[in-house]
Amino acid sequence: MLEIIEGDAYELFYKRIKTESVRSAKRKFWWDILRFFRLKYIKGLEDINSLNNIAMFKNYFKISVRSLLRQKFFSIINITGLSLGLAACLLIVLYISNELSYDNYHKDVNQIYRVANGQAGNWTPARLGIQSKMDFPEIEEFVRLSGPYDQTFKVGNQLFKESRGFSADSSFHRLFTVQFLEGNPDQALNAPNSIVLTNTLAKKFFPNESAYGQVVQVNGNSIKITGVVADPPKNTHFRFSFIESYPNEDWATIGNWTGNNFFTYVKLVKGASKEAVEEKYLDFAAKYVGPEMVKYSGHSSYEEYLKDGGTARAFTLKPMKDLHLYYPHMALGSSGNINNVYVFSAVAFFILIIACVNFMNLSTARSSARSKEVGMRKVLGSLRKQLIYQFLVESMLISLSALILAVLFASLSLNFFNQLANREFTISDLLALDTMIKLLVLVLVVGLLAGSYPAFYLSGFQPIKALKGEVKSAGGNAFLRKGLVAFQFAISIFLVLCTLVVFNQLQFIGKQELGLNPAQVLVIKNTDKLGEKLGAFKNQISQNPNVSSVVVTNQYLSGGISNYGYRTMEENVRANDFINLFSSDEFLETVGVQLLEGRFFSNELASDSASIVINEKAKAWLGYDEVIGKRLSRGDGEDYTIVGVVKDFNFSSLKSEIEPFIFRRMGKDGRIQGSWKAANYVLVRVIGDYQSTVKQIEGAWKNQVADEPFDFVFLEDSFHQLYEEDRRFGTLFTASSGLAIAIACLGLFALAAFTLERRLKEIAVRKVLGASVQSLTMLVLSDFTKLVFIGAILAIPVGYWVMNGWLASFAYQINLNNPLLFLAPVLLVAIIAWLTVGFQSMKTALGNPIKALRSE
Amino acid sequence: MQRVNLGEFEELVLLMVAILNGNAYGISVMEEIENQTERKINISAVHSALDRLESKGFLKSEVGGATTERGGRRKRFFRVTVAGSNTLNFIREQRNKLHEQIPGFDLGLNPYVSI
Repeated sequence: MLEIIEGDAYELFYKRIKTESVRSAKRKFWWDILRFFRLKYIKGLEDINSLNNIAMFKNYFKISVRSLLRQKFFSIINITGLSLGLAACLLIVLYISNELSYDNYHKDVNQIYRVANGQAGNWTPARLGIQSKMDFPEIEEFVRLSGPYDQTFKVGNQLFKESRGFSADSSFHRLFTVQFLEGNPDQALNAPNSIVLTNTLAKKFFPNESAYGQVVQVNGNSIKITGVVADPPKNTHFRFSFIESYPNEDWATIGNWTGNNFFTYVKLVKGASKEAVEEKYLDFAAKYVGPEMVKYSGHSSYEEYLKDGGTARAFTLKPMKDLHLYYPHMALGSSGNINNVYVFSAVAFFILIIACVNFMNLSTARSSARSKEVGMRKVLGSLRKQLIYQFLVESMLISLSALILAVLFASLSLNFFNQLANREFTISDLLALDTMIKLLVLVLVVGLLAGSYPAFYLSGFQPIKALKGEVKSAGGNAFLRKGLVAFQFAISIFLVLCTLVVFNQLQFIGKQELGLNPAQVLVIKNTDKLGEKLGAFKNQISQNPNVSSVVVTNQYLSGGISNYGYRTMEENVRANDFINLFSSDEFLETVGVQLLEGRFFSNELASDSASIVINEKAKAWLGYDEVIGKRLSRGDGEDYTIVGVVKDFNFSSLKSEIEPFIFRRMGKDGRIQGSWKAANYVLVRVIGDYQSTVKQIEGAWKNQVADEPFDFVFLEDSFHQLYEEDRRFGTLFTASSGLAIAIACLGLFALAAFTLERRLKEIAVRKVLGASVQSLTMLVLSDFTKLVFIGAILAIPVGYWVMNGWLASFAYQINLNNPLLFLAPVLLVAIIAWLTVGFQSMKTALGNPIKALRSE
Repeated sequence: MQRVNLGEFEELVLLMVAILNGNAYGISVMEEIENQTERKINISAVHSALDRLESKGFLKSEVGGATTERGGRRKRFFRVTVAGSNTLNFIREQRNKLHEQIPGFDLGLNPYVSI
């Protein structure tokens, strides 16, 4: 504050002390100080009004608007191109910030970890959490989860099939941030058969009354609603719609250390390090898991098992907020991927660069046209700084106009983008203050960057030369411009190349021999709900003339099949994990897999309960010449005899190699061992009309089960589903390469128009001297063609490298050394460039040379 | 003089500066106003009025020497310029002229009331 003002305030204060209490004097002092806060009283800003900046900026603004309006064609192209680029960026910024915000809303999120079995194992033993809490002081709280699963609720007489269900311990709310609307969080999940619903679900079940305290039926059990919570936000790796308590049965309370059936989350005390806990888990595993494990491995002790080359058991901690992006296989239902974030960022970056290049190109291209203006301004006393401001204001104006258009474009393409990114963004997300601020910053940076070159370059002109028209040779300038255009071509070619490779690969996969015939196979889910009625249901649909065969399995192809450890029964025991499917005996004919050796097991033969059938890969791993009759063991006295070998078939995505596979027998009634039922799926091969058959099967289902909806999937669709992500990838590249080319073309069009305008006289003179229209067109075209080829030289190696990396995720790939894959994008971009430029050069070349030469 | 651009409070402050004759700075002006008119005013209001008057050319100011009473901070003393005193005179004359034209018995008997 100014000294004089300060002095007055102090003087008043001292005077008041004499007459009033110190307190009231102080109060008044502060009040005076507050009232004194005016811009001109603050030290250093005394001259705020004497500066003429504001008026000057008003002038810059006015001049900018005039110059934009004078060059409507360039302005429109500039703003459109930039706004397309910004719109793409805006959407991608939205996506990325959403991805990075996952789970941040939890209180103390940095202290919460997911316990992984080994390095990244999803499932952990039942007692892991509670034992860890007892043994380690670092662990403040734990919770176990299972899910997500689908469940059918019976509310009154209505059936609701609901997904995103979880089971959890009662400590759930102490780790995760949940807002209870009704119910006591501490008691909600204490007792078995309790359930907590989200508000949406509660409203759905009980539209007119409070759901709290009501009872719903699940599988014949009565379950009490002990809490209603606010819906969790969308950006969580664990989006539940209901949470059930665990039953008090021994598998849930005691379990065993080798049975991994739960997800365990722990919350560390403040300041505890994750590494210290991980270190302690080594001894922990040796103490608890070791002894139980050696029972199966056949070693006398854990130490001996380790000495024998066994991998040490361990548990590791993964930060909860990393689950969504870095450990997507551990996320409970959210599908994130850090690679997608990278790819999206790269695409946004590329498109933005192309748009910026346009911007810069057009600005510098116009520079010579404006050199007279610059010269005149300088002669009239303009400072260089002021000229720089002038040009920056102009570029800011362009980028801010582009911003408004960009928001419009982004809103219009939001639906398409949601499909592309597999997210549910709304317009209000898009217009959120947060996103807008990011966009504004982006726009200012773009405006500044793109505007700075012309600003500094143009303002450096010598006034005399500029006025005489001798602009500093366009050499360096043109070189930069050409370089930028070549760079645009490079990005376009790169993106087209990626698109082409992705689609080729997807087509290739579609044509791959799977080793089975998924067409016309219907997978009926939840058939375990049939219970004892499975046999009757199966008989009923088998008699349908449109059904050729029916098989019962515990898991289904393409849907993920678990693996079991087996070991050989020979001198040097070898152990391996085999994909293990329980199936009844009609598998081969239903799914269309070919038998190579021996036979498939039979449902009737009692001795076949310990018979297994393997695939070629498993045979190769075993390495026996004659594999039929050989035996494999599961340890603890369970031995199985190989009775047949089937041809290899793809049971999951073609991204992975076919793995060793074992079929185990499941009885006709769905029992696999003793009393354990595992008939979760019934696969039906349909030979007649699809729709009517599905209706008939549904009728048969309804005859047997009343309170479970009929749920099915076609095996072919299910296989198709596996490449969903890759198809999205393909669409992303198509969209972005389309956008990139469109923006680049806009720029090219304007640039060509500009170049031709400048060369108008040259072309006219050439024409007068006898050049043909054709040769004149070629003259201009060859310039741009060169640039396309420079771009191609840049783009092809990068494209090759990147696509090689992408293809590496597939076990079956197309051959990348196909020259056509690389020539086609170059040709495509070249043709588009020719069309863009050719049209204009033709027009110029066809024009009457007199008109061009007449005016001087 | 055509139109005097002077607000009521500004006029008051200008008069006070004239009265104080060389000893006018923020606080003395404020106190003078408080004493003479029994109006409670804030010091910042006085300052902005002083600033405005100065920018209108009715006051000029100079920064005085440091005194101990306010922690060595200097004062800014104001004086009325020629334009300022002309304006005061003009206002006064105009007022008097108008007052004299009020018809009635007690013409001129009422003392001049400052507003």
